[in-house]
Amino acid sequence: MKVLILLLCAVLAQAKTVLVVTADAPDFVLAAGGTIASMAASGDRVVLVRVTNDDKDSWNLSAEETASRVKEEVERAAKVLGIAQVHSLGYRAGELGGVSPTEIRDRLLFYVRLVKPDVMLIPNPYAEYVEVLDRHYTGMAAEEARRIAALENHQPPFAQAGLATHVVKELYYYAQPFDPRRREAESTATFAPQPKVVDIASSLEKKLRASQALTTVNYSMAMRIRKRLDESGRRLPLLDVVNEESVRKLVEINVRKLAEIAAKDSGYKLAEEFLYAGPDYQVPAKLR
Amino acid sequence: MRVLLLLCCAVAFGQKLPLATIPPGKVMMVIQPHHDDHTTDYGMGGLIAKITDAGYESWFVRSSNDEKDGAHGYPHNDMYNLRESEAGTKILGMKGVYSLNWRNDYMDAIPLQELRAQIILLIRKHKPDVVLGHDPWGHYDRNPDHRKVARALAEAVWMAGLANVHPEHLELGFEPHRVPHLFLKARVDYGRGHEANVAVELNESQVRRKEKAYVAHRNVYASPGMARSVKAQLQAEGLTVPEFAGKTDEEAAVMIEEWYMDWISRKRGAENGVKYAEVYWYRGEFDHLPGLTDYLKANVVTR
Ligand SMILES: [Zn+2]
Repeated sequence: MKVLILLLCAVLAQAKTVLVVTADAPDFVLAAGGTIASMAASGDRVVLVRVTNDDKDSWNLSAEETASRVKEEVERAAKVLGIAQVHSLGYRAGELGGVSPTEIRDRLLFYVRLVKPDVMLIPNPYAEYVEVLDRHYTGMAAEEARRIAALENHQPPFAQAGLATHVVKELYYYAQPFDPRRREAESTATFAPQPKVVDIASSLEKKLRASQALTTVNYSMAMRIRKRLDESGRRLPLLDVVNEESVRKLVEINVRKLAEIAAKDSGYKLAEEFLYAGPDYQVPAKLR
Repeated sequence: MRVLLLLCCAVAFGQKLPLATIPPGKVMMVIQPHHDDHTTDYGMGGLIAKITDAGYESWFVRSSNDEKDGAHGYPHNDMYNLRESEAGTKILGMKGVYSLNWRNDYMDAIPLQELRAQIILLIRKHKPDVVLGHDPWGHYDRNPDHRKVARALAEAVWMAGLANVHPEHLELGFEPHRVPHLFLKARVDYGRGHEANVAVELNESQVRRKEKAYVAHRNVYASPGMARSVKAQLQAEGLTVPEFAGKTDEEAAVMIEEWYMDWISRKRGAENGVKYAEVYWYRGEFDHLPGLTDYLKANVVTR
């Protein structure tokens, strides 16, 4: 019993608080869902901030209906991954380019100081050939928010309301594999984030279930593939009938393949790729 | 994406890019900021000619008013450059030019979403199978219009496919349309950012039309003064160009510009194992779903 209590204490001592920032519903699940699930399973407390309301991507649903359904679906997906809380900021999807970057940053800053994370996972704003620019704008704002969360001269009213400055020790930049140079280090291993591959073999099942929970965007993806094939005189036997079962299968193929792409040359079978900035990012080795 | 990675490694080691085939389709749009962006020093003219040769109907969108480009004052530059854009694109076989006429080099004042909305409307009107434009991920492009229009374009090509984006367009009878094939262009010699992943082989006739389309822009290229300064520089080094004999300065300037187009087409060709080429970052119809591209390639069948 004593041993068990000691073990529990050890686990709790190492448990971290993790803040995940995402622009939209599918991105954090597809790019980082396995890692998030592993963190939660190891006892970390994970909080999600979702910047847009995902109101655009659906099939034959109004923007309002889409936003309402996707909100519930993200919350379901988050639960599967073990995320404790979801905060949706409600900006309209595809329109972050028209929002003040400072406004998005300060909304995120609020949550950084509120949640006080040890670790943040944010969209990589430098990942190239990512066509959803909301991810770029969100990544830029999140990167800044993480930095200024530690600086007392930013948003003094927050401090007066009880939100003290906070240093986030670890930062993961995530993105789906569009950037052909995503495995190249930005610089030498001092202040710049470095490529990091995380094994997700043990959490793939949760990632898959979380991804399948996003039924509105998944159905839209399936119908759009089918429409494109129909228009060009082709078909995909799996999508001859687009129903719950065929969409779930399509999502499974997608999630497994993404994990294989990320695992390439890493020694793992199933993985996710990041650019990672650990504590060295803030205090370089030569000063330690 | 793995293929893409391999391609990029190949480029880094001076290996050839795969040669692109023209996607099946009927309509192409070239969506750019400037009058001359169909055939600037890094290409496009050859690919446009090749796609129109394949039977495509094609349209050029000039997003700016080009008022800064040329020596005739703002309103005249706008007019001359638009006319020359119409002439140049006609040489390439294009059907027409839309001028959005935003103020040249002052486009940051336009909400990106407004520019994007115009592009989305034109995409829904013409339903292009192929779109050509600047690469918004190219680094070191000091031209603000290139960055702005490229960024609006990057979103417009997929957002045009979502019915909840500008649903008012659907009242006109237009339908959502995601652009399946995209060829993006930036200077490959400008540094990191732009990752060419295909070469497009050009034939003799396509290179000649590319040259002619380029020199159609007399307001900004092929000026007699440019030929005079080249000749003076050569003379200072004790050199002459026999081809200039008996030619006016303007004729010599046209020759110089045509040689430039010929040279860059040969250079990209030599790098990729063919006589003439241009290089692009190409995104195919399902490349936005990197986890599904292999599966679709293996399992899609014709009806
Ligand atoms: Zn230009």
